Parts: sequence; structure tokens; C-alpha cells
Amino acid sequence: MSEPSIERGLQALRAEIDAPVAAFFSSCVHCGLCAQACPFYLETGDPKYTPVLKLEPLRRVWEREFTLWGRIKAGLGLSPKVTDALLAEWEELLYDSCTMCGRCSLVCPVGNDLQYMIRKAREGMVASGHAPEGLIGAAVRAVQTGSPMGLQWKTLEVQIRHVESSTGLTVPVDVPDVEYLVLLSSMEIINFPEYLEAIARIFDHAGVGWTLSTDCFEATNAGVQIGSKDIAATLVQRIVDAAVKLRVKNVISPECGHAYTAVRWEGPNLIGRPYPFHVYHIIEVLDALRAAGRLRTEGKETDRLSLHDPCNLARKSGVIQEQRNLMDLVAENFVDLEEHGRYQWCCGAGGGVSSNERADALRRAAFKRKKAQIEAVEPERMVTMCATCRTQLEEGLEEFNMDIPVVGLTEMLAEHLVEK
Amino acid sequence: MAASKTLGERLRERGVSRRGFLKYCAATASLMALPPSMAPAIAAALERARRPSVIWLSFQECTGCTESLTRSFSPTIEDLILDVVSLDYHHTLQAASGEAAERAREEAMRAHWGEYLLVVDGSLPGPRANPGYSTIAGISNLQMLEEALAGAAAVIAIGTCAAFGGLPQARPNPTGAVSVSDIVTDKPVINVPGCPPVPMVITGVLAQYLVFGQLPELDEYRRPRAFYGQAIHDRCYRRPFYDKGLFAETFDDEGARAGWCLYRLGCKGPSTYNACATMRWNGGTSWPVEAGAPCLGCSEASFWDAGGFYRALSVPAEIDGARILAAGAVGAVVGGAAVALTRRRVRAGEQAREPVTVDELEQRQ
Repeated sequence: MSEPSIERGLQALRAEIDAPVAAFFSSCVHCGLCAQACPFYLETGDPKYTPVLKLEPLRRVWEREFTLWGRIKAGLGLSPKVTDALLAEWEELLYDSCTMCGRCSLVCPVGNDLQYMIRKAREGMVASGHAPEGLIGAAVRAVQTGSPMGLQWKTLEVQIRHVESSTGLTVPVDVPDVEYLVLLSSMEIINFPEYLEAIARIFDHAGVGWTLSTDCFEATNAGVQIGSKDIAATLVQRIVDAAVKLRVKNVISPECGHAYTAVRWEGPNLIGRPYPFHVYHIIEVLDALRAAGRLRTEGKETDRLSLHDPCNLARKSGVIQEQRNLMDLVAENFVDLEEHGRYQWCCGAGGGVSSNERADALRRAAFKRKKAQIEAVEPERMVTMCATCRTQLEEGLEEFNMDIPVVGLTEMLAEHLVEK
Repeated sequence: MAASKTLGERLRERGVSRRGFLKYCAATASLMALPPSMAPAIAAALERARRPSVIWLSFQECTGCTESLTRSFSPTIEDLILDVVSLDYHHTLQAASGEAAERAREEAMRAHWGEYLLVVDGSLPGPRANPGYSTIAGISNLQMLEEALAGAAAVIAIGTCAAFGGLPQARPNPTGAVSVSDIVTDKPVINVPGCPPVPMVITGVLAQYLVFGQLPELDEYRRPRAFYGQAIHDRCYRRPFYDKGLFAETFDDEGARAGWCLYRLGCKGPSTYNACATMRWNGGTSWPVEAGAPCLGCSEASFWDAGGFYRALSVPAEIDGARILAAGAVGAVVGGAAVALTRRRVRAGEQAREPVTVDELEQRQ
């Protein structure tokens, strides 16, 4: 078995250069608008965090090997090589200072999808041995144990028993031919077990057939975060196998942003074929139930609430109105942050940053942008629908001594269901 | 002897008023970019000036330059100025002919050796050309120029042929024509190009020499900056139409009748440096652009070979449809080949990629 090496890294980068990448690099006009869209640049003021600069290793490979002029320059020794030292220097830029939130992609005036290229550049970092330790650990655990946090089914089983005893309901496990296969994130199982309880209550209330699977209960994808399409495909394949085995019609991605984009958008490309089922985010399912009149609620929250849109859900997947419809159902004093929906600001923790301990300082710095947004609106509580965002908001607000609790939308909804 | 009289005396003899003379001096001052306060000084200097001896050699030329000079508006102060210079040899204007004429030239040269002004119009067959293409009294132009040059104070090359080679030098240049400055290396040369030059520019240069006793400030083409410092385009009265993008597209369209810019009809005003736009012709009556004709750029070097007179300086290339299709087809083939090559490289890259396994990652931890 060979070691990860610069040669393998370069091979991986070469394999990532496709027509969009070539078009993006050729059309960059060096306007710097991506920097103005990046919380890591804005909150540190360090120009090295300019998003397009984070792509320098990939850009150099493209220029040296895929452009005529670059090949001439490389032949004359005028174009610097991509070296191991360069990749080592860029590790911080590609992992610690980017959540792949996609705000830079959104504002780029020539339409360059920068976060798509960050995702690709990380492939080369993994193959050359420059991935952060925290992410390597998460990826190894995800493949070996089925959970990036090393959780096993028996841990979930304990939570299931808690939910069953507190609700008096049965949590269905490995039930075939139902409508929905519910997937969870390990963080929800450990930190926010109320999510599972809320699902059990809502689906019982609406009469929805659902199940968990002992083969695959985790939807997060450490392969997408670290930048290994092989590991990412392995993890997606597990979900597909479990869903096919139980012959479910739909798969529900948990309240986790990147888990949703991984299984919803990247998944079929990773495994190379279409799914025999649909994938929805829990918020999409709940809003569909609301629209169908299957959610009957009573009472409303009276305190001032605001909403944090997860990047993966709102900007990258277009799920924006759904959560607002649900808020209107249960909250009477809801106010949006100034920039929300497509233009929301990242919490600073996604895309693997929160699994990477080395990035803690940067993660906290990037949060300041969100904090300023929240301060401008002065809500009494924040609502969100992503376990990573929620953890980041809770930690960040606590650090700045802001007494603003953070709640999950699904749980809040479950509290207002009409009792049978 | 007439030569002993001053210019002032001769002008008064000819009935030119003091007022008219001062007006001429003021115009000359402004032409030479001098402040108006210099006009009396010019007048005083000109009045005192002795007639300088001028020897005018005409080589490969059309006499247009002489026509321009002598047919300037009348009665003119310019031609009086010319009249008062001692034009000791000019084979179009002098009364003498044949051997007597050539003798007059030789005598003038001897009498004013080292002081006379040598004016040349027309180009001349160069040292390596057949001298027989242009001779006067059996003397080749080159030989005559070299003889006259030896005793000259300075040389004034009048007209584009003398200054830059002009029409005789135009491709294919059958007579091997060269300009005066191609031959003269050891004497000051002033180029007064134009086909023909504006008359007042000719007399203005002479006046400056008479007043200040020195040659005017020249640009890199040895043209007096006072007259050739600005592009026609920059002083053209049609310039506002250019700035607004209003162009005549043909010689009889509405734009042409409305007096719009002639740029698209081939006007070379933007690249031509001359005084036509400010001094105009025929006593300030009009000038080519005002008459509706685009500037030909006649005072610029090689203007005959600079493309069609009616072709605009810079317009989109005229390419026919078939050529565009052919170029497109070639581009498509080249592009297709490049795409195929790149695809192969990418496929090879994908095959060369070694996926990193979890075991490998674990080892690194």
C-alpha cells in the first residue's frame, strides 16, 4: 500500500479538472467580490482568505497542464509548480477557513462556482496527505462504525427507548414498504434527542408511515467534507442499500445541512446512477404536510423569534419559504434577519470546520458576522434546522454572553400539535 | 541695387499700409505661437531686414508648391515678402532661361556664399538611382543639390516630395526618388510638407528666419512646431460631430449635407499634423474638410501608400461570409481536436488517480 503523496495529490487534482473548472478559472476577472462575500475574510481582514486564492493549487494545475499558454510557461520554467509545501500551506485555507457555504459562488459576477471547486480541491489534499486530523478521524469512524462520532446502533437504541417511554409511542425500526426512511445525524442523537421525539410525535399526529433502519441510521457524510469521493460514495451507498432493502418511497435527510446536499444532490453522481426513491429534508416534508392540512396546531410562541437559514438548505438547495411557512404556523412574533434566505451568512461551522479542532479560532471569528446580524434584530430566541448550525449558534452566543436560546424548528412545531 | 533696400522701404514703395503690415505681423506672431506683444517686434525686425538671397531648386515636382505660393490671395503680404526676398534663381518664375538662368544661379551662389537660403521643391533620384530620370541643363538633380548645398546657410524642403519623397517615391518608386533630408546631413533642414503646403506656412517660416535670424523649433520630422504641432482632427470645426458619433456615411447622404464628421469616408485628420484647419486656404475662404472632402493626409510621409483615400483609418475588417465560414470551420476542427486531446488527458488522469482508502487515512492518524 502506497502512502498519500504529492504525486497522488496531483493525480487527484488533475482528475477534478472538468469543463466547468476550466471555464471558471478562465473567466475570473480578479474583481475580489468573493472576498466581500466570505465571513472568514471579512472577520479577519486577512486577504489570504479571499475565496479564489484558496483555489490556487487547483488553479495552478489547470494552468500548467490544461492551457496552452500555461504549458508553454511551464516548459520555460515560468510557472511555479504545485509542491508538497504549497499544499501544506494551503491546508489551512482549504479546510480551516472555508465552510463551502457558497456565498462567494452566489455573488461572483461571472458565475464561478467557487465552493464547487473548493470541494474538488480537497480531493487533492486528501490524496496528498494534507487533510486535517479531525476530519480524518471523522471519515475513518464514519466508514468503520457508521457514524463520524463513533456512535453505534445500541446508543440510538437507548434514545429510542427514552422517546418511547416519554411519548407512549412506538418508534418503528426496520419496517418495510413505508413512506419514509428517517435518517439522523450523530449530533442529533447525542446533543438533541428531542429531534427524534418530535419526529415520532409529528408523524404519529399526521398518520405518516415511517421507519428507522438498523443498517443505516446516519446521513452525515464525512467523505464530502474531507474531500474524498470514494468515501463519500461508500457512505451514500449505505443509505441507498438500506432504503432499497426496506423498499421505502422517500428518504428524509436529518436537520443537518451538508448531509442533505450530500445525499440529495451529490449522491447520485457519487454512486453513478439515479435513486429509486426521493430525498427530502425534514423541513420540506413538514411543509408538505402543512400544505396538505395534515398538521393541526394550537397556540403560538409569543416571544420575538428569528431564523437562521442553513447555507446548504437555503442557498444551495432553495429551501427558503418552507421554514417560513412553518414559522408562521407556530410563531406570532417572527422577524427575519436582514440578509436571509439565499443571501444569508454562514454560521461559520459547516463544511467540516467544526470537526477540525485546529480551526476553532477561525470558526469563532467567522461567527461574528452572524452575531452582528442577530444583534441587529434583537430576537429573544433563534430558530434553526441544522444540528451543526445550532451547536455553533449556541456556543457562539454563549461566548459573547448573549442570552438567546437556540431551538430546532421541528421540535418547536411538535410542541404545538393538537393533542389527540 | 535693390538688395540694399530694407523690407519696410520696399513695402511702402508698393503701397502696403502700416496697418496692413502690422496685421500680417500679428498673424505671424500667433502662427509662431508667440504672444501678441511680439507683433511690433516682428514688424520692427522685418522692416529692418535686408533681402536675403534665396535659391529655389525644383526637382521631381509638379510646380504645385510654387502655384500655391504665387496664387495665395491677392494683394497679399505673403507674396510681397516673397517678392522682397531676393529670389535669385527659380526656374519657373525667373525671366532668364537656358544658360543665362544657370549663370544667374552660379553668380548668386558665389555672391552670397554661406548665407543664402536653399529652397527645394520636389524629390530627386537618389545616389544609387539613374541620374537621368531628372536633370536640369544636363546637370543631375543630385549634383545640383550638392553644389548648391555647399554654400547654403540652411535648406527648406517645400512640399511633401522634398520633405518625405511624396508622389515620386510612392511604390514602386521607379526613379529611386529620395527626400532632401535623405541627402543633406551637414546642414539644417526644415521640412514644410503638404501637397502643396499652406502658403502662409511657407512665408511664415521665411518670416521667422528673417525676424529671429534662426530656424524655428522643429518636431521629430523636422517640421516647424508652430504650424505642424496639432492634428487636423484636434482643430477641425467638425470635431463636435465626431465626439457625438455623427458621421457622414456617403458623400451625398443626409450626414454629408448636414456637415457631419467625414471620418468614415476616410478622413485622415486624426493622423495628420498641419495648419489647414486653423489657417484654411485661399485667403481663409475654405479648406478641404469644409468643402466636404475628407483630409487625405497629404502632409504626412508616405501618404500615397497609406491605403485608400476613402478608407477610414480604423473600421471593422470587411470579411465576406465565405471566409468567416471557412475560419469558423477551421476553428471548429482545431477546437474539436483540442477537446478530444483534453478529454483523453482527463480520462487518463482519472485512471491514474489512486483512491485513498480509509486504512491509509487511519495509518496517517
